[in-house]
Amino acid sequence: MEFLLYFGGVFEPLALALLIGGTIGGLILGATPGLSPTMAVALLIPFTFHLTPTQGLILLGAAYTSTVAGGAVSAILLKIPGAPANIATALDGNAMAKKGEGARALHLSFMASGVGGIIGVLLLIFLTPVLAQWALKFGPSHLFWIAILGVTVIGSLDSKSFVKGLLSGCIGLWLSQIGYDDIQGAERFVFFDALSGGITIIPALIGLFAIPQVLDMFAKGRMSAAIESIEVPKYKILDSLKEVVSSVRALSIGTVIGSIIGLIPGVGGQIAGLVAYDQARNFSPHREKFGTGHPEGVIAAESANNAMVGPSLVPLLTLSIPGSPTAAVLLGGLLIHGIFPGSDIFDKHPEVVWTFINSMLLGQILMVIIGIYTAAWAARIAKAPIPILAAAVLVLALFGSYSVSQSMGDVQIMLVLGVGMYILEKFGFSAAPLVLGLILGPIASDYFTNGSMIATAQDGPWVYFFTGPLNIILVALVIASIGYSFWTNMLRSNFVDDKEVAQ
Amino acid sequence: MKTFLKTALLGATALTLMASMSLAADYPDRPIGVEVSYGAGGATDFQARIVTIPAGNEDILGQPIYILNKPGAGGRKGWNWFATEAAADGYMMSAYNVPHFIAQGIKGGVKYDADSFEPIANWGADPAVVIVGKDSKFSSMADLIAYATENPGKATTSGAGLFVGHHIAALQIEKACACKLAYIPTKGGGAAAMKAVIAGETLAGINNLSDAARAASAGNVKILAVADLERHAFLPDVPTLKESGLDVDNASVNFRGLMVPKDTPQDVIDKLATQVPKMFAHKRVTQKMKQTNSPVKIMDRAAVQAMWAERKATLTELLKGL
Amino acid sequence: MNSHRMQHVVPASIIFGLALLVAYLSFTQEPASAFLFPRIVAVVFVLLAVWNFIRAATGLAKVGRGLAKQDSVNLLPGLVVMLVLVFWAAKALGFYFSSTIAFFLVYSFYDPAPYSSSQDWAKRAGVTLAFMAVIYGLFALVLQVQTPRGMFI
Repeated sequence: MEFLLYFGGVFEPLALALLIGGTIGGLILGATPGLSPTMAVALLIPFTFHLTPTQGLILLGAAYTSTVAGGAVSAILLKIPGAPANIATALDGNAMAKKGEGARALHLSFMASGVGGIIGVLLLIFLTPVLAQWALKFGPSHLFWIAILGVTVIGSLDSKSFVKGLLSGCIGLWLSQIGYDDIQGAERFVFFDALSGGITIIPALIGLFAIPQVLDMFAKGRMSAAIESIEVPKYKILDSLKEVVSSVRALSIGTVIGSIIGLIPGVGGQIAGLVAYDQARNFSPHREKFGTGHPEGVIAAESANNAMVGPSLVPLLTLSIPGSPTAAVLLGGLLIHGIFPGSDIFDKHPEVVWTFINSMLLGQILMVIIGIYTAAWAARIAKAPIPILAAAVLVLALFGSYSVSQSMGDVQIMLVLGVGMYILEKFGFSAAPLVLGLILGPIASDYFTNGSMIATAQDGPWVYFFTGPLNIILVALVIASIGYSFWTNMLRSNFVDDKEVAQ
Repeated sequence: MKTFLKTALLGATALTLMASMSLAADYPDRPIGVEVSYGAGGATDFQARIVTIPAGNEDILGQPIYILNKPGAGGRKGWNWFATEAAADGYMMSAYNVPHFIAQGIKGGVKYDADSFEPIANWGADPAVVIVGKDSKFSSMADLIAYATENPGKATTSGAGLFVGHHIAALQIEKACACKLAYIPTKGGGAAAMKAVIAGETLAGINNLSDAARAASAGNVKILAVADLERHAFLPDVPTLKESGLDVDNASVNFRGLMVPKDTPQDVIDKLATQVPKMFAHKRVTQKMKQTNSPVKIMDRAAVQAMWAERKATLTELLKGL
Repeated sequence: MNSHRMQHVVPASIIFGLALLVAYLSFTQEPASAFLFPRIVAVVFVLLAVWNFIRAATGLAKVGRGLAKQDSVNLLPGLVVMLVLVFWAAKALGFYFSSTIAFFLVYSFYDPAPYSSSQDWAKRAGVTLAFMAVIYGLFALVLQVQTPRGMFI
C-alpha cells in the first residue's frame, strides 16, 4: 500500500494541471490518424526538459494512457484506427456508428478502457516483482510461437470468407518482409527505391483503412451526399454504464488477455485488441453478431488495449527492458532525467515512480470522464457532409503518414496500399487480417531467425523450438487455435458456402 | 473561386520570395532536424536529445533542434534515407555511430559509405563491454575464452546487430583468441541484447558500457572486460581485453556525433562546425550527460575526419576475410 | 451467371500470379538465410491462392460484388487529385499549399450544392481555409513537424 503515501504528489496544482492537459492532449493526438501513442509520447519528450522528473513523467504517463484510448475515437467514427491497438475497435465500433450508435460506442469504449486500464495499473502496483520474473521467461522461441498464435487468428477475423481472410493475412505477412531484414540487414523484395525502407506500420495502417474509406465516399458521386449523413442520437451515460457492467465476459477476456500480452516484452501490445476481440467472439453466445456492430466487440478490444499499458511497464521499471515501442520512449524519458530503472528503482526514487504510477491510475479515471463528456460532441464528426469528410481524411492521411518519419516514400506506399486495398475489399478481402499479418510478420520472422541462430549454436532447432513447458503450451495453443477455426469455418459451413451469400 | 485562388497565389508568392531572400547568411532561420537511426529511448536517441537541448540559445544556433527517429536494420534504414533523401541544406543532420555506418558501408548492400557524409562534431564515446548474467559460471574473460575454445561455435554472445560496434568487438575477440563464438544479433538493438543476457537466453553478450554499467549496478549482469585501450572511469575495476590477454584495440568503441550530407554548402558546414562543439560543451549538457552516466568525448570536425579515416582503414582490414 | 463467375476468376488469377512471383523470388534470392521465413510464407501463400482460385473457378466464391462501373467513374476525379497530390504536388508545391488546393478541389467536386451560387463557393473556400488552419496549427505550431516546402509552403 506504499503507493497511497505518494498520492499527494499527483494533487499538487502543477501536477494536476499537467495530468489534465496531458489527458486532453493525448485524446486529441490519439484521435488524429497517424499519431500513434509512441509518436505522441516522443513528441512530448522535449516539453519535459523544462519540468522536474516527476512532473515530466506525469505528463508522459497521462499522454500514454489517453492516446491509447483516443485512438478509439477515429476508429469508431471514421473506421480509421489511430494506432494498431485500435484496429479491433474499428470492426464493431464503426458498424455501431454507422447504425447511429456512435455516442454509445464511444461511451462503451472509454468505460471499457478505464476498467481495463485501472486493473492493468493495479497489477503493476501490486505484482511487479512477481511479474518481472515471469516476463523474462519469454525467449525468442516463445515469442515466435506467440506471433504464430496471433497469425492463426487471421482467418476468422472480420472476414466473410475464410480462405480470403487467410489470403489477406498472407499478403500482409509478405508485405511485412519487404525491405531490410532487421537482423541480417539483407534487402528483400525491393522492387523500387521507395520500398527500401520497408513498409512502416503506421502509414500502412492509414493507407489500408483510410484510403478505401475516402474512395468509397468518392464513389457515391455528387448527388447522394446530402442524404447520407447519419443521425447521432444522444445516449444516456447511465445506460452505457449498465451495459459495460453487465458485459462481464467480454470485459474480463479483454482485461486478462491485454494484461498478459502487455507483460511479454517484444510483442508490443499492438495485437492485444485483436486477440481479445477474437477470443471474446469465440466465447460469446452471439458469435454471429460480431462485426455487425456488437457492443461486446468494442468492450473486449478496448479493455484489452488499455489493460496492456500498466503491465507493459513492469519489465521497463524493474529490468530496464522496454516491452513495447512506447515503453522504449518512456525509458528514454526516464533516462534523460537521470532515473535509471532497475530492481532498486522503488527504493531509490519512490517519490518519482509512485507518483508516476499514481498519475496513470488517476489518468485512467480522468480519461473516462473527459472522454465521455466529449463523446457526444465528437460523435458529430460522423454527421459532417461526406465531401468535407472525404477531403479532410485525405489531407489527414497525407500529414499523418508523412510525419511518422518524414518520408515521401511512406506517403506513396500509404496511397498505393490504400488503392490496392480498396480493390481487394471489393472482391471480398479485408484490411484487418492484412494488417495483423503486417504487424506479426516481422515479430515471427525476426524471432525465427534469432531463435534458429541460438538453436544452431546449442542443441538444434527441434529441441530449441519444441521442448520446455512454455514451448509445449504455446504449440498446443497454436494447434488448438488452428483446429478450432477450421472446425467453425469449414465443417460448420459444409465446406462450401461462404458465410454470407453474395450481397 | 478565382478571387480565392488569386489571393492564395499572391500570399504564397510573397512567402516564397521571403524564403529565397534569406540565404545561408541567416542560417539557420527555422528548426533543424537530427535524424537518429535507432529507436526512441535507445542510448543514441536519448543522448542526441540531451546534447541538442541548448541549440535554441542565441549564442549557439538560435534555432531549436528536433529529433527524427528512423530505426531499422541496425541503422541502415535511417542512414540510407539520410544519404539519398535528406535535403543537403543544413536543416537535416544525422547522428552517426562509428564504427557502425563505416563497417556497413564497407560490407556493402547500403547506399552510403564514409564519404557520403560530412562530419560536424563528436559528442560521446561508448566502449563495448563483454557481459554475462549475474549467476553465470564465467567470472573472467579467461573462463569465457576457455569455454569457447573447448566448444567452438557454442558460446552464444548477444549483440545489437550485424556490423555494429558489438559485432566488431566480437570479430576482434574471435581473431585474438583464435576461437569461435556464436554471435547472435538481436531484434530491438542494445536493450534486447541486454535482455538476452539477463534472461539467460545467451551465455554472454556484448553491450554498451553505459548501459552495462547501469545493469551491473542494479545487480543484473557481471562485466568481464572493456574493449578499449584503457580502463574506463565508470568501471575502474574492470580490465581491458588487452589486460585479459586478448589483442583487441579500440576499433569497436561506439563514437557518437553529428554529420550532414555530402553536398551541404561549405559555409553551412563551417557555421555548424564552430557552433556545435560549443553546444556539446554547454553546462546543461555536460551536467545531464553526467547525471545519465553517458560518457562524453567532444571532438571537433578535423579530429572526427581523422578518426573516420583511421577507422575506415582498420575496419577494411578486419572485414576483408568476411 | 458467367459474368459473375469471371469477376471472381480474374482477381483470383492475379493473386495466384502474385503468390507465384513471391515464391519464385523467395527461393532464388540470396542470401538464403534472410529468406527462410519468406519461403514459409510463400508456400502457404501459393497453397491458399490455389484454393481460392479453385473456389472462384467452380463458382463457390460469392463474397464481394466487384468494382461497379458507376462507382469507378464517380471516384476517378478524386483519385486523380489524390495521385497528383501524393506523387507530385505535395513535394513540388509544398504540403500546406497543395493540401489546400486538393481539399478545395475534392470538396467542390463532390459537394452537391449548385456551382452557380457564389454563396456556396464562399462556403467551400471558408471550410477549406478553416480546416487547413487547424491542420497548420496542429502539425506546424504545436507538434513542429517539418514538411516539404516546395515552391510555396
